[in-house]
Amino acid sequence: MIGSWELAFIVLSAIIVTIYGIVVGLFLLGVDRKLAAHMQARVGPPIRQPFIDFRKLLIKENVIPENAIPWIFNLAPVMSLASSIVILLYLPIGSIYPPLGAYGDLILVMYLLTIPALCMVAGGFASGSPYASVGAQREMVTMIAYEFPLAIVVVAVAWRLAAAGIQDPFTLGSIAAYPLWSVAGPLGIIGGLLLLLVMAAVTPAELSRIPFDTQEAETELAGGLLVEYSGKNLAMFYLSQGVKTLVMAAIAVAVFIPWNLSSIVTLPEGVALVADLLFFLGKVILVMFFSVSLVRVAMARFQINRVVSVFWMYLGLIGLVGLLLLMADAALPAAGVLA
Amino acid sequence: MSSLPMIPELLRQLMRKPATNLFPAKYLPPSVTEFLQSVASGKAHLTPPVETPPRFRGKIEYQRDGCIGCGLCVKVCPSHAIELLPETKRIRIWVDQCIFCSQCTDICPKGGLHMTDAFLLATEDRYEENLIVE
Amino acid sequence: MSEGSGRKAPYIIPIGPTHPALKEPVMFTFEMEGEMIKEVDFAPGQAHRGIEWMGMRRNPVQIVHLTDRICGICGVSHTFAFARAVEQIAEIEVPERADYIRALIAEFERIQSHLLWAGVAAHELGFDSLLHLTWRVREQSMDVIENLTGNRVNYGIIQVGGVRRDIVPEQHQVIEDCLNAYEGVISKLLELFLDDRSIALRCRDVGVLSHREALELCTVGPTARASGVNVDLRQDYPYSAYGDLDVRTILPDQYAGETRGDVYDRIVVRLLEVGQSCGIIRQCLDAMPAGEVTAEPKIAKLLAICKKASGEAIGRVEAPRGECFHYVRMEAQEAPHSWKVKASSYSNLMSWIPMLRGEQIADIPIIVASIDPCLSCTDRVAVIRGQRRDILSKEELHRLSVEATRRLQV
Repeated sequence: MIGSWELAFIVLSAIIVTIYGIVVGLFLLGVDRKLAAHMQARVGPPIRQPFIDFRKLLIKENVIPENAIPWIFNLAPVMSLASSIVILLYLPIGSIYPPLGAYGDLILVMYLLTIPALCMVAGGFASGSPYASVGAQREMVTMIAYEFPLAIVVVAVAWRLAAAGIQDPFTLGSIAAYPLWSVAGPLGIIGGLLLLLVMAAVTPAELSRIPFDTQEAETELAGGLLVEYSGKNLAMFYLSQGVKTLVMAAIAVAVFIPWNLSSIVTLPEGVALVADLLFFLGKVILVMFFSVSLVRVAMARFQINRVVSVFWMYLGLIGLVGLLLLMADAALPAAGVLA
Repeated sequence: MSSLPMIPELLRQLMRKPATNLFPAKYLPPSVTEFLQSVASGKAHLTPPVETPPRFRGKIEYQRDGCIGCGLCVKVCPSHAIELLPETKRIRIWVDQCIFCSQCTDICPKGGLHMTDAFLLATEDRYEENLIVE
Repeated sequence: MSEGSGRKAPYIIPIGPTHPALKEPVMFTFEMEGEMIKEVDFAPGQAHRGIEWMGMRRNPVQIVHLTDRICGICGVSHTFAFARAVEQIAEIEVPERADYIRALIAEFERIQSHLLWAGVAAHELGFDSLLHLTWRVREQSMDVIENLTGNRVNYGIIQVGGVRRDIVPEQHQVIEDCLNAYEGVISKLLELFLDDRSIALRCRDVGVLSHREALELCTVGPTARASGVNVDLRQDYPYSAYGDLDVRTILPDQYAGETRGDVYDRIVVRLLEVGQSCGIIRQCLDAMPAGEVTAEPKIAKLLAICKKASGEAIGRVEAPRGECFHYVRMEAQEAPHSWKVKASSYSNLMSWIPMLRGEQIADIPIIVASIDPCLSCTDRVAVIRGQRRDILSKEELHRLSVEATRRLQV
């Protein structure tokens, strides 16, 4: 099925994407901390601080608690990092077509997104600490809570594209090539904005950030899921946190702001690639600022039952309204023509 | 935004300068000793600490010459940081143990004890020469 | 995993003695059912420092500086209470101006303590921006305190018989500037804390202490007032300059129109008290008479007076956390015969039990913080015999306290 050349290409690009994902992921964590610090009137750590932290964690002792299940405890961080990187292989980065784009679509990405969270749950339960167990239970509840609104977003966007007669509406390639805003009419654009709001709320939950960081909740559970982790294992989780940040922002970028600089301004080939990458990074930082940095400094942490009611009732409802608007938009072709 | 009143406040702050006084430097230098050396040689700039108020209670100063060895300061020192040396009839102050209450300066009949505004006294050696006033 | 799947059987979560939710050591044991707290027990007494023991080997002039260090936040309240007890025993008449300066510093302390608490409460809720903002505001009062007393934390301003430093005319401007700044910023703080939906969601009807429970558990200070109990030592037992000043108890219904006794009401009471303290400081500045600031400026003479004194007395002061209580007994010796401190948190700790029962794990940090516990104030017993440290059982402690009472009665 896959030729040897293609295989070599995929392996090579996987290596490049891995390095890119880790470096940009850590950089994003640094930018996030800097922005949050400035909003709180602090100077904050230098942007390279996550790299320093990572190096420090690597030289720290890797403690495995006595009543932990060692193999799950050690496997969870590696799996979490690996699965987050795999998602990156399905996502367009700048104008570069995803290396595995032809083999999976947004539905697959949605499934893959649950794996890092499941790894954390497994690692938490395997830690053998009551804090980690409570954290793991909360992580599961949170996961169940936000999957529903996330699914609405994905389905609604793809459905609208399919209604517009676009082939393979679930592939990220088509979603990026035909932005929702250019397909939909005014009603659809309002619906799209509502979906964007839902996506912005799902992102901090996926990344376990305030207000949805109940599973780690420093002041309640002392780090919850990660309470027993240290050294290399914690470093792996730290990296996967960075990569996940990039992944979530990249999904939002691919679905909602897929334009590239090269498609707007004509640029020479080599310059266009670099410019697109930088433009992509800018978009990612923008998404991260509004859905992670700003939200996490502007709100108090929710209780776990509140997390569920927020996602199932409020955001679920907003998502459904968005979906209905998109459907109504597709049902009125005239509106689409007008736009 | 009326239900989240913090957001406008945060966005406004993002545009402003942080409130932190960047003492001694913006970021922690890899080696403080090297940093201080480069400050001394004029290569780096050291941001000064916030100024102390006029009647600040810092490291103690002792005028040995006026001292009559009455030992009143030893009597009121809450932390037993002052020692009366019987052979010289003078006192020795262990700044490491001093709690900067300034009670000894109040009681000294000769006015031979004063509080300065020196407060950067952190060190690794509790018996450092700098921390013994006599 | 057994703990997670076993829904029916309650499981135990220990919190403490050190935990990010606790700023000071105390040991909690929670019996949980899912996310809900079924039963709770706590064991204070993890921060013994033996300050009373040290005090019984020092003269009152020295003890004043020890009392400063009982608590890092309410330093002046302990000193105030201790000095008032000693003054009663030694029959020292404190000059009126000193009374006003004491009250003024005590009110500044209340401002900084309540703001500090508000920041900590925000942090417990995961709202760090509000922590940074509140503490930035608090810094102004710290600067004024530093300017007036010479130090930010251990003020060392009160001495038996009066205060150690006068407030000079140049300092009036410093105080004035700070008060103006606060009066401008308080409405902003009220908005940021009380209008915020995410804070209201976490604090409304959480950790409720009913009026009856608050009375039965003898709670004091803002914890009691938030449950609608009208107690404030400054109003009920006007000590020092408070007799001349207009101080009315702050109750949550003055802001929200109702008293629910929850965490939200405790925020309301504390923030309103910041404004109230600003008003009291203004009154102090206006009414402050001229004159001496201490009954006995010569410390050596003061020592002699204290050495001659004998008798027992109680010093009571409304600290930021509630009533602070010092018992001193002197028997014509250099050091007091006995000295007992009852910090305000001691009276408030038991209110944790009804507050925490039936709440969620997520609410533990904010409920525990809501009474503004000061455990280093509360815990003060250490038994050290030579090199050996003893842990005493309840029976032994009871026996020892009976013996101690007998000794005092003789």
